[in-house]
Amino acid sequence: MSETAEASFLTAEGCYVALTSSNLSYEDIIDRVRSPEAGAIVLFSGTTRNSFNSKPVKELQYTAYPALALRTMLTIAGTIRTKHSLKGIAMIHRLGTVPIGEESIIIAVSSPHRQAAWRAGEEALEECKAKVEVWKREEFEGEEGVWRANRDGAVGVKEEAKEPEKGEQK
Amino acid sequence: MTTPRPPKGHFNVLYFASAGSFTSKNVEALPAPLPLSKLFETLEERYKGIKESVLDNSLVTVNLTYVNMPEGEDDEANGDEPVIIQEGDEVAIIPPVSSG
Repeated sequence: MSETAEASFLTAEGCYVALTSSNLSYEDIIDRVRSPEAGAIVLFSGTTRNSFNSKPVKELQYTAYPALALRTMLTIAGTIRTKHSLKGIAMIHRLGTVPIGEESIIIAVSSPHRQAAWRAGEEALEECKAKVEVWKREEFEGEEGVWRANRDGAVGVKEEAKEPEKGEQK
Repeated sequence: MTTPRPPKGHFNVLYFASAGSFTSKNVEALPAPLPLSKLFETLEERYKGIKESVLDNSLVTVNLTYVNMPEGEDDEANGDEPVIIQEGDEVAIIPPVSSG
């Protein structure tokens, strides 16, 4: 269900969300939120880590329910943009095979002042990790891959997410 | 995403992540109409063990909207309208997500 060499996106006022099978570009995503009214742009980049519980990971595979994932991302973007009075918010997630050390998600937010941008960036990421319909499979050397859950062992959450896990990026 | 349209009298079920691994499929057409309350037992008949290892930890969407899985007979007694999956619907099994 993950497409190869395909990008899809949704936009709303001040919001851009996308899924792509290509490498992610910082420039592109920063330009999506650049604004003369902004005094700060905060960017978060999630990169694929080479281990899980000290087990070496060879690469990661991401798959998505694109229609739903984009819709969820746009809802998150719109909510956070309003809550923090952002000028812009952009979130892009990569799908397919992502080699170790490369970007799997980039979030950029712009706002008149830095405090709101820092907070909004963190919140956007935590919301994505809790809700967006994307799945990560870790491929190990010489054994079968594992579908990871951001809240391991727990049932996924619906609309009102509980407090997302803290301090865990991958 | 391009999912083949289900044949007449059927709906599609999309299997993501662990659901796809368990069934070895991404999508499958099942006969419609089907009460939502029968979905898990229908899948369990086809894929023994899927309820415990996948479905009990998953959410379900119908046409891109999350639905509450009926917990048993009390729902109707509580006055909830039973949801019926219709021909042409797109149902998806959504295991716990792991974006980022």
